[in-house]
Amino acid sequence: MFALFEDAGFKRVRSTIVPGFAFRKASTRDSAEAYGVKAVLFTAQR
Amino acid sequence: MTDIAAPNAEEQAPLEGVIKGEVLRMYQEVAEHPEGEFHFFHGRQAAEMFGYERDWLDRAPSSAVASFAGVGNPHLRSRLQPGEVVLDLGSGAGLDSIIAAWQVGPTGRVIGVDLNPTMCRKAETNAQTSGARMECHEGRMEDIPLPDASVDVVISNGVINLSFRKRRVVRELFRVLKPGGRLSITDIVSAKQLSQSIVNDAKLWAS
Repeated sequence: MFALFEDAGFKRVRSTIVPGFAFRKASTRDSAEAYGVKAVLFTAQR
Repeated sequence: MTDIAAPNAEEQAPLEGVIKGEVLRMYQEVAEHPEGEFHFFHGRQAAEMFGYERDWLDRAPSSAVASFAGVGNPHLRSRLQPGEVVLDLGSGAGLDSIIAAWQVGPTGRVIGVDLNPTMCRKAETNAQTSGARMECHEGRMEDIPLPDASVDVVISNGVINLSFRKRRVVRELFRVLKPGGRLSITDIVSAKQLSQSIVNDAKLWAS
């Protein structure tokens, strides 16, 4: 998604991983871990 | 990190329709039955986990807090100022819009956009209850119902990942922001391309 912001023309694109994000159900959590799923805070300027 | 969408996602129109229906169903369920169990943490527990100020959660209407289904805290970096115009993309039950409205004050304006008209009305009611000024427009994030260069700040929380057309959504954000405007968005990303079985599972996509 970082690249999508840059491609659209946004400047100063920054991303930070959201600490503590997790899925509640263990089965979903395991799949998410396997795929490297994370929550991220993006900031950018037009 | 990569986008969650499959590379050919924009060619999967029938699946997109199914997923849109499941997204509507899932988040309406969170709004109407926040006591239920979902794949994700929600409500006050989730908001506290992401660092929402307790004062905000005490002040906001309980129905807005209980239906919170975000994945982070966009307010940490939004730096909202009095008088600014804010777009809350995918405003849901309205908690983030209400918090934004408190920050931009009576000279500012908060506009929510949500796919679900019921959620829009709920968000506006929650905002009124809390003394916050917020208006909600029913609309799709791929076609944001706002003019070009009309907002100072975009906030959003766990919404863009639900779209099959993320590139289009991001272009729309660029279009509606004023030059120099900014965004503060929390969302879900995946380091690896998801398998087609996951992409095809509307329930997993919606969660």
